[in-house]
Amino acid sequence: MIKLVNVSKSFSRFKVIKSVSLTIDKGEVHGIIGASGAGKSTLLRLVNLLEIPDEGEVRVNGQNLTNLRSKELRQARKSIGMIFQHFNLVANKTVYENVAVSLELANFPKKERKDRVIECLQFVGLEDLMKQYPAQLSGGQKQRVAIARALANNPQVLLCDEPTSSLDPNISAEILGVLENINKVLGVTIVIVSHEMEVIKSICNRVTVMANGEIYDTVLTEPIGIHHIDKSPSYFIEQLAKVGEMDDA
Amino acid sequence: MPDILVQYEAEIWVSIGETFIMVGASLGAAILLGLPVGTLLFLCRKGEVIENRLVFTVLNLLVNIIRSFPFLLLVVFLIPFTRLIIGTAIGTTAAIVPLSIIAIAHYSRLVEQSLLDVPKGVMEAAISMGASVKEIVFKFLYVETRSGLVLGLTTSIISFISYSTIMGVVGGGGIGDFAIRYGYQQFKTDLMIYMIIIMIILVQLIQFTGTTIARIIDKR
Repeated sequence: MIKLVNVSKSFSRFKVIKSVSLTIDKGEVHGIIGASGAGKSTLLRLVNLLEIPDEGEVRVNGQNLTNLRSKELRQARKSIGMIFQHFNLVANKTVYENVAVSLELANFPKKERKDRVIECLQFVGLEDLMKQYPAQLSGGQKQRVAIARALANNPQVLLCDEPTSSLDPNISAEILGVLENINKVLGVTIVIVSHEMEVIKSICNRVTVMANGEIYDTVLTEPIGIHHIDKSPSYFIEQLAKVGEMDDA
Repeated sequence: MPDILVQYEAEIWVSIGETFIMVGASLGAAILLGLPVGTLLFLCRKGEVIENRLVFTVLNLLVNIIRSFPFLLLVVFLIPFTRLIIGTAIGTTAAIVPLSIIAIAHYSRLVEQSLLDVPKGVMEAAISMGASVKEIVFKFLYVETRSGLVLGLTTSIISFISYSTIMGVVGGGGIGDFAIRYGYQQFKTDLMIYMIIIMIILVQLIQFTGTTIARIIDKR
């Protein structure tokens, strides 16, 4: 489904991605984990050419994106959804309009747009908030809108850049539940970048570990389920205790 | 109404009309040309979607040069150019040329600044959804920054009123020119003060309208 072949990327002489090759199969929930600065976000952004690789090839769904002309690339991007850590919704558009815009860009038939937007919002459980503006929503709700927007054009791939990193653990679990559904019900291939091990362990069935712009390892895993992400207050207390231990050491 | 205003009523109305023509033309130039120039300035910046150093440098320099002129000198400097396109450098119609040029430079800078406030992430989301440059501009940038664009235009209109008062030097007329010729030069200070009051009221109304519209359309 996604195939990166010897891709490299530098930002002003600093090599962020060093000749990385990675294949992600159809239907996978693929996690990319690593410390900050390991290049995991850049690797993800190379998949839809949000970052253009200096070298190498990016193939999605059999199409070599690196060879496409800008119009063809825009077309290809419409079947690759993406969500972000900070949601990136248009603040001056309602929930409905935020989802509808992705259909407008894809020239989705006008008459069916409304039904499609509502269908997507129902999928993420937000059909009642259609007329609200993002400023009136919680973080978790905003991410759901972003997911609905990314799903509207029936993408084959969904790229998730730290999708839960600015959310509380219990809200994170809800969002991961939605992503899990997208994979299982709609059969969408998902790639998740995260620095949180819990997130990766909960729903990924293959994990790539990155360090210093290279792939350290890619392993098959058994997703342990989103319930792993503890919703109780004790979770916070444990986390705080861990931070305390680290300070002591 | 004070006698002096009654006495000059006809002339005052003509002056107000001239001011409206000059400011209206400036406003038109700001929207029709200042907005695209400002958008182009933004889009051609380093790291933006149609990054183009040459276009950016040329536009940037041009806008800076026009804005460097003390406006009175710009009007005088442009006389040959005005004569070339209007046929005369004198009168209200001729006054529109220098006013439009400063209006484009003035508003384009404010547009560029407003667009810089659009979060980078929104642009990325647009690109990731396969938006073209035109779609990025109309479906994302202008939507996200619409209140900034309105506030910028409000500031610009008020500056245009101020600029229009200079146009008396080329026979452009307007309230400012009337205040100088009748109020100041004929020692009718009270008449000058009345004209200033009219302008204060005008500016208040414009600012109030602009701020209100900007607030209503801002959902951020």
